Amino acid sequence: MSIYYYLTLYPMEAMIASQLEPAAFGAYMALGNRKGSAEKLIFIEVKEEKIGEAFDLDYARQRCVEHSDGRRKNSVYLSVYRALEAVPTEAMGLLWLITRDGRALALEQGDYSDPEPWAGNALYQELCPAHPLVVSALNPKHFSKYIVEDSTKVTMPAIFFADLAMPNLEDDDFTGNVGGYFDKILEHLKACIMDLKAGKGKMSKIVDRSSTATFNYQVIGRGLYVGAADGKLVFYPMPSREILKKKHYDWAKSTQIF
Amino acid sequence: MISLVIIAVIAALAFAAINFSMVKKKSPGNELMQEIAGYIKDGADSFLIHEYKIIARIVVLIVVLLAVVVSWQSAAAFVMGTVMSATAGWVGMRMATLANVRVSNEAHVTRSLGSTLKVAFQGGSVMGLSVGGFALFGLLFIYVIFGKLMGQVNPDQLVIHTNWLGINDIPFTMTVSGYALGCSIIAMFNRVGGGIYTKAADMGADLVGKTEAGIPEDDPRNPATIADNVGDNVGDVAGLGSDLLESYVGSLIASIILSAYMAYTAIKSGNPINPELISAMIQFPLFFAAVGLLSSIVGIFILIVKKVSDKPHRELNITTWVSAGLTLASGAVVTWLLFKDLDVSEVGFTIGTFSPWLAAVLGIVSGIVIGQLAEYYTSYHFKPTLKISESSREGTALTITQGLSVGMNSVFLPVLVLAVATIGANALAGLYGVAMAAIGMLSFVAATVSVDTYGPIADNAGGISEMAKLDGEVRDITDELDSVGNTTAAIGKGFAIGSAAFAALSLFASYLYAQGGVEIGKDFKLVLNMIDTMTLAGALVGGALPWLFSGILIEAVAKAARAMVQEVRRQFKEIPGILTGKTKPDYRQCISISSAGALKEMKFPALISVLMPIVSGFLFGPRFVGGLLIGTTLSAIMLALFTANSGGAWDNAKKYVETGHHGGKGSNAHKAAVVGDTVGDPLKDTVGPSLDILIKIMATVSLIAVSIFSKFNLMVLFGG
Repeated sequence: MSIYYYLTLYPMEAMIASQLEPAAFGAYMALGNRKGSAEKLIFIEVKEEKIGEAFDLDYARQRCVEHSDGRRKNSVYLSVYRALEAVPTEAMGLLWLITRDGRALALEQGDYSDPEPWAGNALYQELCPAHPLVVSALNPKHFSKYIVEDSTKVTMPAIFFADLAMPNLEDDDFTGNVGGYFDKILEHLKACIMDLKAGKGKMSKIVDRSSTATFNYQVIGRGLYVGAADGKLVFYPMPSREILKKKHYDWAKSTQIF
Repeated sequence: MISLVIIAVIAALAFAAINFSMVKKKSPGNELMQEIAGYIKDGADSFLIHEYKIIARIVVLIVVLLAVVVSWQSAAAFVMGTVMSATAGWVGMRMATLANVRVSNEAHVTRSLGSTLKVAFQGGSVMGLSVGGFALFGLLFIYVIFGKLMGQVNPDQLVIHTNWLGINDIPFTMTVSGYALGCSIIAMFNRVGGGIYTKAADMGADLVGKTEAGIPEDDPRNPATIADNVGDNVGDVAGLGSDLLESYVGSLIASIILSAYMAYTAIKSGNPINPELISAMIQFPLFFAAVGLLSSIVGIFILIVKKVSDKPHRELNITTWVSAGLTLASGAVVTWLLFKDLDVSEVGFTIGTFSPWLAAVLGIVSGIVIGQLAEYYTSYHFKPTLKISESSREGTALTITQGLSVGMNSVFLPVLVLAVATIGANALAGLYGVAMAAIGMLSFVAATVSVDTYGPIADNAGGISEMAKLDGEVRDITDELDSVGNTTAAIGKGFAIGSAAFAALSLFASYLYAQGGVEIGKDFKLVLNMIDTMTLAGALVGGALPWLFSGILIEAVAKAARAMVQEVRRQFKEIPGILTGKTKPDYRQCISISSAGALKEMKFPALISVLMPIVSGFLFGPRFVGGLLIGTTLSAIMLALFTANSGGAWDNAKKYVETGHHGGKGSNAHKAAVVGDTVGDPLKDTVGPSLDILIKIMATVSLIAVSIFSKFNLMVLFGG
C-alpha cells in the first residue's frame, strides 16, 4: 500500500507519513476518529522521490503499515519541528486547505506575477514557522526574500504565508465576509498602515503577534506562498469566487465564503 | 346568488387539483434528489398522521359534548370544520413535499429564477386555493344544509331557543360556531405541534451542526437536517394553512353570528329589523368571500401563465395586488346588488349601501399598512433591523437588548392602525363593519396563502439542492426565492394578527349578546363593565394567559430542541463516518425525536386555550369570562406583534451580517447575530402564530359555552 508524505503547515508544522490519500488525511486530521475535533488544516503533498535526506523514510516505511484489522495507518510523525525548511521546493506538490468540517480544496502551483495594481502595502498572515500578521510595503516576492535572506535580524530559513484581502478600512459596515479575523485589530491595522505610509524606513510592521486562532480561508487574497531558503518562491493561487462557486461550492460553503 | 359561492368553491378546488397535477408531472430530478425528498415527505406525512390521530381522540370528546350539551347540528358542523381544516392542511403539505424537489430540479435544469419561481408558486397555490376552497365549501355546506334546508336562517329560527338542558342559544350561531371551533382546533394543534417540531429540528440542526461541528446549513452530514426540512412543511405549510383557514372562517362566522344577535336584540327591543336585510347581512360575508376567492384565482392564474421576470418580489406583488384590486371591485358590485333595495340605516350603516364594503376596504388597507409596518420593523433595508445588526458588533447581550427594543417598539403603530380601523369600521357599519374589516383583510386569503406557502417550498428546494450537491448557481436561485419568501411571510403574519383582532372583537360582541340571553330587551346595552370586580379579575387573568401560554410553548421548544441536540451529538460521536461522508446519519431517529417531542408537548398549550374559558366560566361565571376574553385579546395581540416582529428582525439582522457586513459570516458580530436569531426563532415561528389562534379559539369556545356557564357556575351556586 502506498505511503503518502504530508508537510503540515497549519496549525502545526510537521512531516507526517500516512497511508491515507490527501483528502482522507485532511478529513482525519480535521475531525479525528472519535475525539470529535473540528479544526482547519493546511498541508502540502510531498513527493517521496524528491524529499531528500532530512527525514527518516525507512522509519516511515517500517511504521506506516496497516493495522492488524486491515485499517490503514493514519499518521506517523517524522518531524514536528523545522520541517518546512527541510523540504525542497521541487518536492512540493498540491497544497491542501482543509475546513473545520473536513472538506478539502487542492491548490496547484501557479506562475507568480507581482500584484497589479499595487496599493503600496499588503497584508500578510505568516502561517509557518512563525505566526504574526504583518502589514508590509513589500510585494509577496520581496517580502519572502526579505524574511528568508539573513541580511536582517528578523529572519527565518523558510516561510509559508498568505496574502490577505485588505478589508475596507473606511467603512466599518460593509466589510465583506471576512469572519472574525479583523474584529479586534481593525483600528491597530489602520494605525500600522499609516505608520508605513509615513515612511520611517520600515518595510513591514507587525499588526498582531498571533492571529492564527481566528485565521480563516475567507480572508485569503491572491493566494499562499512558500518562500524557500534558496530564495525560490512557490505560489499557490486561490481560485476566483466564480470558480469556487462552480467547482468547489461545498468547500467554499464550509469556509463561509458563501 | 348562492350559485356564485358554489362556482367559487368548485373553481378554487378544481384549480388547486390542476396545479397539483401540473406540479406533480414535473421531473423530480435525479435519484439522490428523490431519495432526500422521499425522507422529507415520509417524515412530514408520518408526523401529520400521528398528529391527526391524537387530535381525533379530542375531536370525538368535543363532538360528544357538543351533541349532548349544545346540539347535534353544532357537533356535525364541528366535525365538518375539523375535516375541512385537516384536509386543506394535508393537501397543501402533500403538494409542498412533492413540489420542493421539483422546484430544485427546475432551477437545476433551467437556471432561470422566473421559471423556478413559477413552479414554487404553483405548488404554494395548492395550499392557498385549498384554504379558500375548503373553508368556503364547509361554510356553504352548513349554510345550505343547516341554514336553508333545515331552516336555521329563517327569520323565525333566528331567535334564542332553549334546549333540553335549559340552555339558550340561537341555533344557527351555535352551528357556525361549531364549524369555526373545528377549524380552530386543527389550527391550534397544527400551529403548536408544527411550531414545536420545526423549531426543535431547526435549533438542533444549527446548535450542533453549525456551531459545534462547523458544517454549513442543510448539509447532508447533519443528522437533523432532514427533520429541519420536514419542520418547514409541518410548521410553515400545514401550520400556516390551517392557521389562515381558521382566521378566514373566524372572520366570516363572526359577522354571521353578530347579524343573528343584532336581529334577535332588535326583535326583543320591539324594533325588529327587516328580515331581508338580516338575510342579506348573513349572506354578504359568503358572497364577499366568494368574489375574493374568484379574484384570487385570477391573481394566481396570471402569475402561472404570464412570462415571469427575474424579480420574484415584483411578480408576487402583482398576484397580491391583482387579487386585492379585483376583490375590491367585485366586492363593490356584490354589495350594491345585495343592499341596493334595502334600508340599511336601521342596522347602523351610516353612509348607505356601500358602508360594509367601505369597512372591508378599511380592513384591507389596515392589513396592508400593518404588513408594511411589519416589513419596516423586520427588513434589513430599514433602520430598526440595521440597528440590531450594528449592535451585534458589540456582542450577544446588546444584540438581544436591541432586538427586544425593536420588537417592543414595533407593537405601537400596528395597534394604532387597528384602533383607527376599528373606530372607522364601527363608524361606517357598526360592529358589523368591524367584522367586515376582518373579512376584507382575509377576503383574498387564497392569494396571500399561496404567496406565503411558496416561501417554505423554496426553502426546502434550497435544502434539497444543497444535500444533492447541485452547484452554487442553483442554490443562488433557491436562496433568492427563499429570502423573498421571508418578507412575504412577515407581511402575512400582519394580516393574520390584524384579522384576529377584528374577528375577536366581533366574536366578543356576540359573546356579550349571548350572555344577555333571552332577557335581552329594550334596555339591553352592549357594555362590558370594566370596574366590575369579576370582569376586572377576568381581564387580569386574561392578560396574563398569553404569557403563560407563550412560556409553555417556548419551554416545549427548548425541551424538544435539547433532545435533538443530544441526539445529533450522539450520532457525531458514535458514528464517526458521518462527518467524512462515509456513513449516512440516522435521519429517521432525528425525525422521530422531533415528532415525538412536538406531539407530546403540543397537547397542554392547545388544551389550555379550550379549557380556560370553560373552567373559569363554571367557576366564576360569564362576567369573569368576558374580562378574560378582553384581557387575553389585548395581551395576545401585543405579544403576537412583539414576538413576530422581534423574531423577524433578529433573523434579518443575521442575514444582513451574512451578506458581508460587520465582518460577515464567522465574525463575532455574526456569532452574536446567530444567537439573536436562535432566540427569536421560537418567538416568531411558534409563539406568535399560535397567539392569534388562542384569541379566536377562546372567543369561540366562550360563545358556545356562555349560555351553559351563565346558568351553572359556582357564583350562582353561592348566590354571587
